[in-house]
Amino acid sequence: MTELYDWVRLIPLFPFLAFAIILLFTQRNQKLSTYLAWVGIGLSWLLGWTIVFRAIGDAHVLEEGFRAPIFSIPTGRGLLQLGFQVDALTTAMLFMVPFVCLMIFIYSKGYMHGDPRYSRFFAYISLFATGMLGLIVSDNLLLLYIFWEVMGLCSYLLIGFWYEKPSAMKAGLKAFITTRIGDVIMFLGMLLLYSTTGTLSFHEIFSEETLHFLKETTVWLPLVGTVSVAPVIAVLLFGGAVGKSAQFPLHVWLPDAMEGPTPVSALIHAATMVSAGVYLVARMFPIFALLPETASMSVVAFIGGFTALFAATIALAQDDIKRVLAYSTISQLGYMIAALGVGAYVAATFHLITHAFFKALLFLGSGSVIHGAGTQDMMEMGGLRKKMPITFWTFAAGMLALAGVPPFAGFWSKDEILAHAFEEFMHKGVVSWPFFVWLVLSLGALLTAFYMARQVFLTFYGETRSHHVHAHESPKVMTYPLIALAVFAVFLGFVGVPEEFPVLGPLFGHNLFHHIVGHGYPATPLNWGVMGLSVLLALTGLFLGWLVYGRNPLKEGQPDPMTKLGPVYTLLRNKYYIDEFYSKFIVRPAVALATLLFRFDNSWVIDPFVNLVGKVGAWLSDLGRIFDLNIIDGIVNGVAAVTAWFGKILRLTQTGKAQNYLLVAILTVLLLLGLYLYLPM
Amino acid sequence: MDFPILTLITFVPLLGSLIVLCMPKEKERLIKQFSIAVSFIPLILSILLWVNLEKGGGIQFEELVAWIPAIHVNYHVGADGLSVPLIFLTALLTTLSLFYSSFTIKNRVKEFFFLFLLLEMGMFGVFVSLDFVLFYVFWEIGLVPMYFLIGVWGGPRREYAAIKFFIYTLVGSVAMLLAIIGIYLNTGTFDIIQAAAMRPFVENFTLGALAFWAIFLAFAIKVPMFPFHTWLPDAHVEAPTAGSVILAGILLKLGCYGFFRILLPMFPEQFHRFAPIIAVLAVISIVYGAMVSMAQWDLKKLIAYSSVSHMGYVMLGLAAAAFAIGSKDMLTSQAIAMNGAVFQMFNHGIITGALFFLVGVIYERAHTRDLTAFGGLASKVPYYYGIMLVAGLASLGLPGLAGFWGEFFVFRGTFAIAPVYAAVGAIGIVFTAAYILWKVIQHVFLGPFNEKWANLTDMETYEKITLWPLVIFMVLFGLYPPLIVDTINAAMTRLLSGL
Amino acid sequence: MVPLSWFLILGAALFCIGVYGVLSRRNAIGILMGVELILNAVNINLIAFWRYRTPDQLTGLVFAVFVMAIAAAEAAVGLALIIAIYRTRNTVIVEDVDLLKM
Repeated sequence: MTELYDWVRLIPLFPFLAFAIILLFTQRNQKLSTYLAWVGIGLSWLLGWTIVFRAIGDAHVLEEGFRAPIFSIPTGRGLLQLGFQVDALTTAMLFMVPFVCLMIFIYSKGYMHGDPRYSRFFAYISLFATGMLGLIVSDNLLLLYIFWEVMGLCSYLLIGFWYEKPSAMKAGLKAFITTRIGDVIMFLGMLLLYSTTGTLSFHEIFSEETLHFLKETTVWLPLVGTVSVAPVIAVLLFGGAVGKSAQFPLHVWLPDAMEGPTPVSALIHAATMVSAGVYLVARMFPIFALLPETASMSVVAFIGGFTALFAATIALAQDDIKRVLAYSTISQLGYMIAALGVGAYVAATFHLITHAFFKALLFLGSGSVIHGAGTQDMMEMGGLRKKMPITFWTFAAGMLALAGVPPFAGFWSKDEILAHAFEEFMHKGVVSWPFFVWLVLSLGALLTAFYMARQVFLTFYGETRSHHVHAHESPKVMTYPLIALAVFAVFLGFVGVPEEFPVLGPLFGHNLFHHIVGHGYPATPLNWGVMGLSVLLALTGLFLGWLVYGRNPLKEGQPDPMTKLGPVYTLLRNKYYIDEFYSKFIVRPAVALATLLFRFDNSWVIDPFVNLVGKVGAWLSDLGRIFDLNIIDGIVNGVAAVTAWFGKILRLTQTGKAQNYLLVAILTVLLLLGLYLYLPM
Repeated sequence: MDFPILTLITFVPLLGSLIVLCMPKEKERLIKQFSIAVSFIPLILSILLWVNLEKGGGIQFEELVAWIPAIHVNYHVGADGLSVPLIFLTALLTTLSLFYSSFTIKNRVKEFFFLFLLLEMGMFGVFVSLDFVLFYVFWEIGLVPMYFLIGVWGGPRREYAAIKFFIYTLVGSVAMLLAIIGIYLNTGTFDIIQAAAMRPFVENFTLGALAFWAIFLAFAIKVPMFPFHTWLPDAHVEAPTAGSVILAGILLKLGCYGFFRILLPMFPEQFHRFAPIIAVLAVISIVYGAMVSMAQWDLKKLIAYSSVSHMGYVMLGLAAAAFAIGSKDMLTSQAIAMNGAVFQMFNHGIITGALFFLVGVIYERAHTRDLTAFGGLASKVPYYYGIMLVAGLASLGLPGLAGFWGEFFVFRGTFAIAPVYAAVGAIGIVFTAAYILWKVIQHVFLGPFNEKWANLTDMETYEKITLWPLVIFMVLFGLYPPLIVDTINAAMTRLLSGL
Repeated sequence: MVPLSWFLILGAALFCIGVYGVLSRRNAIGILMGVELILNAVNINLIAFWRYRTPDQLTGLVFAVFVMAIAAAEAAVGLALIIAIYRTRNTVIVEDVDLLKM
């Protein structure tokens, strides 16, 4: 039995090998590179799903997890063990990640066709897949962090893939630096966790003793004082999730990330990077939920809920087809984070999975639209329904799933979140985070439905609003992945149908998803009221969208009806001016400070001081030189002069005749002899 | 090992340099080939050394011969898990530098190779010496060839830089010499191991502190730590490529090595007392170095300042470990911090070495290092871009490459002991990412192509050969750190348990 | 039996002649011959003392042999020098060979 799980080590390895081989050897051969990348992710997918389907029926693995160690690093007298694992959460993620990646890989062949750096693109996305696959199978936080950063690197490379464009280049850098800020906070959280518990392995951290220990331990924080350690760790780790999952206030990188090729957007937004943040919180959930009354949960709930609503409002006023989806992603991630903040662990994970499928679908669909229409501006599109039927139908499926219309996938997951929040709110009363979450998420559901309707009507209905848009359907290599993803967008939700739901509940294995992931968590009971309200909100949103954009499709040159909102529209369109704020108050001061410090170093203080010391030294030595020249040298020269004078006299005795010298020698000997003989002893 | 391997490693370069001296200077090809061949001997021996090193065995490969018996000076050499990686690093970087220089050095070839081999001997000597006088002699021997390398083959301000480097280091050396004599008078031995075991000035804390700070000054200048770092940008910028590589790759490590081998075992009490000061300086080095790097527009100067920042990590780990001396359950954290510091030393050697080679590659072609003069070169020189990217990412501590582990261990160790320092130091990570990606990668490689460089050629074979070994080590140690940490950990655990 | 003092007087006389020769001759070869006389005077002394004082030890004889060998070498080197000087300066008169006095 266990042998199969041991193979989990290979899952991230396949795409990594593909990456290395493409980059080192097959860059010239585009076809071979494509197939290599496909084979890499394809093998991971096959192996991944084999493991997933084995694990679903294996209660031991779902409850305890299976660990496959790789290597250990000595730390003093101890060891830091690194390895991979399969457990419930990994199983759920392993179902989604390789498949969505594979679809994106296949799609990329069509989308990237003819790009000069085609092969390198496949190398990069293979590395990206390595990062995400490694992340979900890591059995400890350190390895997770490593893969997490690898993904950060790939997002940098891929967002800036068309680096000749300054905007793409800047977007890549922005993504990396912004997430890096979050990562450093997470890094500190990891260090705190490690130095408190002495381990980073999930298995050990979540053991009874360690959790108990964490509960008891306190830590002293500057300014705050002594607090429990668990919430501090949780909040710090959450910093990483905020960066990676583009939550307020570190969300700014994600819309700019649209500069990358569309499959990249799908990879980043749907299957991989942004979900990594949510995955992190879900993975570390026992720590977050350890002391539910402390800041850890409320911070998460607040940031998530706020972001969900905040990003949804921005999405209302965007014209770029991908930017709308980007803000929608931020908003949906806010849902998941907020769900975790109210303890809806299973619901959040469920939404993470379903969202990945339909958001990948939407991104790839938008890519197909861009590919066909040659523009990203929705104001120039229109009427694409007829010209791109497959794209339209699959896109519509994704849109309905996102809007939360039953029975599409998004409905079930979103409803479970709302139901859970409502449940908690009933427990805790109005002045509580669950109430806030439930309220903003419900509002967000309305907005979501509206902006998705706006997008679909602007893009696919009416007539083309620009004469240079000559759309055509995309090639099969692009549409097939859309269809495959659309199937999941429609049907995937059934794995998480509440058990009590008539007919469907028993039919689909009594909430199979909860059975897989929710070990130890109570299932959220079905709440008809909440469900009815959420359906009502979704339909209202869609209806409003139809009212504004669908009934009378926009004509060429006609302004967006949203502009009637006046200053609110301007504010939304400019994303609340947050980018400008950061640029003015964070980036520029940092650069200025750096320049200032360099001046301090080079021109003002340190180096001038060194040079001053040098100059004083030189001056002293000059003084020494004068002293030397006149006094020391005077003495030396004086000695020399006296010696020379003596020499002048004494040289007279030097005749140069050996006989003279010999005579002197003999006379001396005789003299000494005489002295010896006649002097009294 | 039944032959004197350390002596061979140390003196084969000297022998080689003397033979080079006897060669006619017109035979440049022969001189180059011979020097490279000579430098391979210590490289192979150092690999042998590493392979034969018994991990937990303390000082090994010892040789002890009386040198100046009248004052108890011995020729005492030995190596352990701390010095062996550094010896290997020295041998590797020297061989690569000689190889690279054999293609780029055009004038005064004979002198260059002579001095370089002499330099190699000095560096090996420092890493193997276990006797103060021997240590000091080698320490000073290294200075002279470096002075000439900068002063003769350097850039436009070479004289200023060379003299600044020389004087600065000498100031520290003098202080150290006084302290060494003091230690001798106190303990009656010049033997580093014995003296450390006897704890010089154990009865008089103040005198010990004086000696501590004197030696500290010598090493801190060499490391260099803020505020003793300003010789470094000048020396690095003016030195020829191979000189910068050795300067950053090895000479800075001499200072760090001194902290580990001499200062910590000899003055644990003082080190413990003054650790906060050193940690503060280290944190300043990290953040300040990174920020100043970010303000640079000269590529070489940027990398030079980044060294200040990266060596700050080493010192932070060391200071944290020292800070925890005497605390009971801190051994693991201390060992992790020290492992990280030593690993970081090694990493910095290969990463910054590679970066300086890369600067040399572009400077050979473009004759400028001004970041604003480039742009969009990624498509023009893809190979160069790839290698630079890997080296840059390793430098900013990307997990999966070697640089990450050093930083991680340093921060992990420090965090458990002095969390505030670690937290402040971590800011450096963000700035490092910023200057590598924004300043280096973006300004040189990305964006619209600058037509001025239409004739730029990609890397030559010899440049690739120079850089590949370094890249391989970055990836190898990044993916499988136990390869080196095993060695270091044993030595560090031993060192710490002796304090 | 001839008393020891006779030999010593002979030696001293020979020595004085030699010294006189060395000091007074201008010709370098003459000086060389004077030196030989001095050495032989010493030899006579050595042999005489050996014979009268320590006949059972070989020291005196051995020294005499040494002196003879050195005298031969000295003569060879000295003559060679003189020839060399003659070749370059065309003289064997020592007063003309005063390069040292400059």
